[in-house]
Amino acid sequence: MSNTYYEFFCPVKVIAGKAALEHIPYELSALGAKRPMVVTDKGVRAAGLLDPVIAACEESGLEIVNIYDDVPPDSSTTVVRDIAAVYRKEKCDSIIAIGGGSAIDTGKAVNILVSEGGDDIAKYSGAGVLKRPLKPFLVVPTTAGTGSEVTSIAVITDEKKGVKLPFTSSYLLPNAAVIDPRMTLTLPPHITAATAMDAMTHAVESFTCMAKNPLSDAYATAAIKKVSRSLLQVMDNPKDSDGRLELAQASTMAGIAFSNSMVGLVHSLGHATGAICHLPHGLCMSLYLPYVLEYNLETIREPLSELLLHLEGPEVYAATPASRRAEASISALRKLRDALYKRCKLPRTLKETGKVTEDQLDQIAEMALDDGSIMFNPKEVTLKDARAVLQRAWA
Amino acid sequence: MLAKRIQPMASQAKRLYVELMFQVMGRALQAVSEVDSEVQGEARVLPEGFLFEMMVMPEGSRLIVEHIGNGRFHYHGDSAPRPVDVSIKFKHLTHAFLVLSFQEKTSVAFANDRMLVDGDVSYAVRMTRVLNRLEAFILPKIIAERAVKEYPANLHLPEKLISAAQIYLKVATHFVQTVRA
Repeated sequence: MSNTYYEFFCPVKVIAGKAALEHIPYELSALGAKRPMVVTDKGVRAAGLLDPVIAACEESGLEIVNIYDDVPPDSSTTVVRDIAAVYRKEKCDSIIAIGGGSAIDTGKAVNILVSEGGDDIAKYSGAGVLKRPLKPFLVVPTTAGTGSEVTSIAVITDEKKGVKLPFTSSYLLPNAAVIDPRMTLTLPPHITAATAMDAMTHAVESFTCMAKNPLSDAYATAAIKKVSRSLLQVMDNPKDSDGRLELAQASTMAGIAFSNSMVGLVHSLGHATGAICHLPHGLCMSLYLPYVLEYNLETIREPLSELLLHLEGPEVYAATPASRRAEASISALRKLRDALYKRCKLPRTLKETGKVTEDQLDQIAEMALDDGSIMFNPKEVTLKDARAVLQRAWA
Repeated sequence: MLAKRIQPMASQAKRLYVELMFQVMGRALQAVSEVDSEVQGEARVLPEGFLFEMMVMPEGSRLIVEHIGNGRFHYHGDSAPRPVDVSIKFKHLTHAFLVLSFQEKTSVAFANDRMLVDGDVSYAVRMTRVLNRLEAFILPKIIAERAVKEYPANLHLPEKLISAAQIYLKVATHFVQTVRA
């Protein structure tokens, strides 16, 4: 009998495709909600992305009671408390988070406060603190990369203590994730590239790290195939709504995959680099991915070889000797990064970012070693190993 | 019929084994922090007075150690003087037995959702490194390789034997002192 064991959980209803936004009123009414509050940021509003949502609700006679559009890129406990106060004052009964990772995480945290009561979100920090379902909560992602719409975690900064508070509970998962290609159609090229590579990294790490399982594998490989086929098409033709939908779906699928199988060293290094050098998360993922795969290579040769089929298609897979497929997978990712660099200057090395200095590498390595995701990396990582990977990623 | 009779005995044996292993590991954590500079380096980053717990849910065996400063741990047995800072909780006795009998690596147990971390994850990661280092010292290489993700390449036999002897001596002394007290 096999000694393997896994868990898989994703109760989020995914509503995806053409005119998906128009399903929001029905979904809210099915949840018994009549007074939704929208949580978003100024960028989303300025890009006109709220208009189709508002129109969809108005056409169904559903009034959006309040729109909070001041979520900062790095959301804080104060912002969460302020939004919860508005929610209570306006007697809202549900939340629609529209945006990227920050708006979605803020929506999740606000939902804790308005459901559980109180003003101190910090006391709900940690794993398994929540014991019951929260208020109706819908998420409309406007980037295709984070996968936050299907993850049970939120991270909010506690400004007073200067720390990031993690919140983990299956009750944070939204009731529905609405994936509509209109919401990502106007994403600028470098954000499209970085967020898609974020999704690619979620999927690749999900497929190659320690908690991989048959169900997460299915989502991961499907996501990799979609990003590989659609990313450059969308970069060349940003108004390609079919391609945009493919990337958005890939992001959600990769999110489902990694939230059930976790991620590894790429994320450990990326989290540390983001904290120290303030580089965007997706960019860090794209940057570190091939170097970490090279480091893990002998431990992950088999699954990495299999990924060639999804990265390059059946012809290249069949034409590549089995013993070279793992290296060919890394080459395919490098080729994709080169193509993105050509199109939007998405950095491939730390030096190319212009925001990291070589003397910061030790600090990044030390911080990465304490990151939770390093536990799931298939190969043990010492400080020396992390430093060596960073040195390779430097230039 | 026989299986039904044996099951409670097997369960009791598992419980006793896990309890004994926690007692050994707690004392060994204190001992390794007195003899190994690498463990001391890891522990120094923890706040003084930091309490670490490993336990079996819901109210099973547990071990509690405290960082008393300068990279040294103190074993508190199964009761904490105040609320613990980080707790690694096995969801079931069987899961603890799988890990503590080296049938499942600690890292694999994490990946398999056998355990929960309550508290600061970065400290839990650090304590896992300390536990791995301890296991590499005190277990024969062939067993240690089943317990840790990767056996440290730089741990050579003379260093391992000397450190293991020191740790076992300290653990035995601590056991004797506990019995006398």
